[in-house]
Amino acid sequence: MAEDVPATYRVTLRNRGDAVIEVGADEPIYDAALAAGYQLPIACAYGGCITCAARMIAGKVRQPKGTALNRRQSQAGYILLCVARPKEDCVIEVGVESHGDLYQNPFAVKRG
Amino acid sequence: MMSDNEKACCGGPGYASPAEAMKAPREKLLYTVALYTGTGIEKPDYLATVDVDPDSPTYSSVIHRCETPNIGDELHHSGWNACSSCHGDDSKSRRYIILPGVRTSNLNIYDTADAKNPVLHKVISGEEIKEKTNLSAPHTVHCLGADIIISMLGDADGNAPGGFLHINEDFEIVGRWENDITGMNYNYDFWYQPRHNMMVSSEWAAPNTFMPGFDLDDVGAGKYGQSIHFWDFEGKKIVKSIDMGAEGMIPLEVRGLHNPESNEGLFAATLSSNVFRWWKTDDGDFEIEKVIDIPTIDVEGFPVPMPSLITDILISMDDKYLYFANWLHGDLRQYDISDIKNPKMTGQVWLGGLLGKAPEVNGVAVQGAPQMIQLSLDGKRLFVTTSLFSTWDNQFYPDMKDKGGQMYIVNCDTENGGMSIEPNFVVDFGKEPNGPSRCHEMRYPGGDVTSDIWM
Repeated sequence: MAEDVPATYRVTLRNRGDAVIEVGADEPIYDAALAAGYQLPIACAYGGCITCAARMIAGKVRQPKGTALNRRQSQAGYILLCVARPKEDCVIEVGVESHGDLYQNPFAVKRG
Repeated sequence: MMSDNEKACCGGPGYASPAEAMKAPREKLLYTVALYTGTGIEKPDYLATVDVDPDSPTYSSVIHRCETPNIGDELHHSGWNACSSCHGDDSKSRRYIILPGVRTSNLNIYDTADAKNPVLHKVISGEEIKEKTNLSAPHTVHCLGADIIISMLGDADGNAPGGFLHINEDFEIVGRWENDITGMNYNYDFWYQPRHNMMVSSEWAAPNTFMPGFDLDDVGAGKYGQSIHFWDFEGKKIVKSIDMGAEGMIPLEVRGLHNPESNEGLFAATLSSNVFRWWKTDDGDFEIEKVIDIPTIDVEGFPVPMPSLITDILISMDDKYLYFANWLHGDLRQYDISDIKNPKMTGQVWLGGLLGKAPEVNGVAVQGAPQMIQLSLDGKRLFVTTSLFSTWDNQFYPDMKDKGGQMYIVNCDTENGGMSIEPNFVVDFGKEPNGPSRCHEMRYPGGDVTSDIWM
């Protein structure tokens, strides 16, 4: 019987008062947050535009179509909530206020 | 239904000619899109009506706001259901303005029958567009008689090259407009000259490339456009593409001279920060030549030389002046193009920008720099807004998301050349009732210098 129950994980929205939402293993975190009453940034809804980016503090997600993130942004911990599904319990920082390290002025940084 | 500004000499919308358009009454209202996308305020973007009548008590303020139904659209450019291209058809009127959401692909269509208070008329959902045409990321809207054509920058998954969406006058999807897209790497803006059976289109990048922000590695990888395309307009296929290489990187806004007999115009290569002239030759070929080159500037603390980034250009209705915005350097320029092969700079003003030459204008700290521009039909007032695109704003001007964009008027001397910022006008979208928003493209109810094309 146990395998009939789809897995869910606890995702903590650290900068929304540490609210905890239950997210299915195949459910985008954005959808679960919205259903729980948290309107987070959203736009393209297919992983291509970065508007919904959030920063992972702890945990792991699966986001096969997260094409909008480059390597630097992924290494800085950013995920795309419109396509990210939890693989374990996660703690994330959400909203535009989590975007401090998302962008760089390309003319202001050394290259190579 | 016709705007007060439009003369009804032939029953239909718009004007009989560019010369007639220039005699229209002065604009009193202006529409701009205003965005919450990328600001941290999770509300829909909206269409704002701005009072631009200096005799009105509410001059220089937003007097009406109408939200789209969905958050995250990223309203950007806009276009009318009808323009001077159907001036002779009294069954048509310039009544509906189409506001595409670049990120959601939704087309929000507003009814401006009550010019001060537009209301939402219909939404064509991005999902329906993707399903029926495999296109996404709508950009430029042009009408041609009863038909409306919209450049689409990607396929349904946000990959290049996109194509052109065709909708009818009832705002129903007809399908894809083009017969053959061969030769196009990317898509962006387009301009057509029906009397020469031609269209010119330009290239930004795939939505999956430009939407997350600007990355020089993507430029190096060839993920940004550097070609311009000339079309057989009736045949709906490309007849010539020109790869401009390093001089022509990211060609964006394409403008034609307004004289409907003309077979030439100008466009800017945004990243290379060059202006090119395009023309059709006597034997039917298409050519381009660079006519303006804005040098990069070495900025202290910036290891990479900074281009001016020419993000918008337009041509006055009498085809005498070219105006363009340098969004990184922070200036707006006026060039006399009486001799279009040799433009002469005749005016310049500074507003914000990364060079820091005008951080505060008319008592407001400028966020961003001159970006979208719109010129009055008589050529004397250039309206300017400071936001480019939410992710690029957040990258180059990160304070804008908290402080909003601004709108200014620049007075233009159409006799001797010259520009000056109007001291009595500033609309600070940082003071909007729901919080700071970004303002972008502008249109007047009675037509403007980037809407109307004559058949």
